[in-house]
Amino acid sequence: MGWFSSSSEAPKTASDGGRIAPDRSSRARCYEGRDMFFSCLDRNDILDAIKEDKEVRRKCGKEIAEFETACSAAWVKYFKEKRVMEFNRDQTIERIKKEDAAKVQDLKAQGWTAR
Amino acid sequence: MASTMRPMGRMLTRASRSALLPIEHSAPRAAQTALSSVNKTSSPFSHLRTANNGLLASHRAFSTSQLRLRAPTMGQLKSRHSTGPFSWKSALLFVLTGGGMIIYFRVEKERLERKRIAEMSKGVGKPKVGGPFTLKDLDGKEFTAEDLKGKYSFVYFGFTHCPDICPDELDKMAEIIDNVKEATKGDNVFLPVFITCDPVRDTPEVLREYLKEFHPDIIGLTGTYEAVRNVCKQYRVYFSTPRDVKPGEDYLVDHSIYFYLMDPDNDFVECIGRQDTPESATRTIMEHINDWKREGKPLRKD
Repeated sequence: MGWFSSSSEAPKTASDGGRIAPDRSSRARCYEGRDMFFSCLDRNDILDAIKEDKEVRRKCGKEIAEFETACSAAWVKYFKEKRVMEFNRDQTIERIKKEDAAKVQDLKAQGWTAR
Repeated sequence: MASTMRPMGRMLTRASRSALLPIEHSAPRAAQTALSSVNKTSSPFSHLRTANNGLLASHRAFSTSQLRLRAPTMGQLKSRHSTGPFSWKSALLFVLTGGGMIIYFRVEKERLERKRIAEMSKGVGKPKVGGPFTLKDLDGKEFTAEDLKGKYSFVYFGFTHCPDICPDELDKMAEIIDNVKEATKGDNVFLPVFITCDPVRDTPEVLREYLKEFHPDIIGLTGTYEAVRNVCKQYRVYFSTPRDVKPGEDYLVDHSIYFYLMDPDNDFVECIGRQDTPESATRTIMEHINDWKREGKPLRKD
């Protein structure tokens, strides 16, 4: 469960007992893997990669393997959850915007005007 | 500026109009004064006979003694009336002073508003955000809240295994550090601090390597689990780090994602959040630093 399952990378433990975090380049690699994986999910109309894990592994096998190699397990889980959270958030914002627009239309029909 | 000049112009015309009014009316009044002085000598009931005396007065007004009294006054009034009491110089002075005052009051109002915010967060007695703590810097030396005093400090809580928000925010922090440095012309009055919420994994060595990638000026602080939990509590940071972590176990830490701007008394001033750009954050910070300087309060520049 290291940053790289291939474990050919440098040791993950610092000499004073700390755990070395991914540096800028490995973060960049992780983000790249994530973006590739998410675009595969988009192509296959999958939102929640945790719920539909089986489907995901069948359709985006290569991408998820690369994603899981480039990022730690905690990060993989975090990004998958974040995708769902952000989608729901955007949906909610859109819904509120539409409701607001409808309300304004309704009020305008009743003769109300914006200042 | 155009919008402020328009009411100014209106004010000016109104002011000059009302200033001219007494002058236009002063001529009849001078006649009245002359009249009453005459009446005083004649009878205590003279006011009952004003109609008659009016005739008398107008008649007398052409006598030599009255002319001597009135002529210089009228001459002066006439000459003043032709140019008006407002020459273009005084009008310009009026506009400039007025404009200056408006600008001054605006600036002062903004400054006092900021001061009010800063004072408000000081609360009564104990500050609401921030407080005493004892941690260790990256050389293993003790670092307490006292070490933050004398400078504006910029405190961020995070952890090195943070997936995406902390690195973004730290990149922003680096930009802010450079901006503030430039704006203060190298005065060393700004102290960026990173406090880890994950002391088990973030040892000084790990922190040093991590922060080096963002900005060399960031002071990394860590400590025991208890010490970190205490500082998070002081700064009202949500702290969810598991106490017992098995070696090799992978986990994330939930934490607040604000920068805390603290003044040289180590009192909380303002939050800088995700919505701030490096530019807007720098502006906010510089406003507070400049206010502090303007009030002549001490700053440590070592």
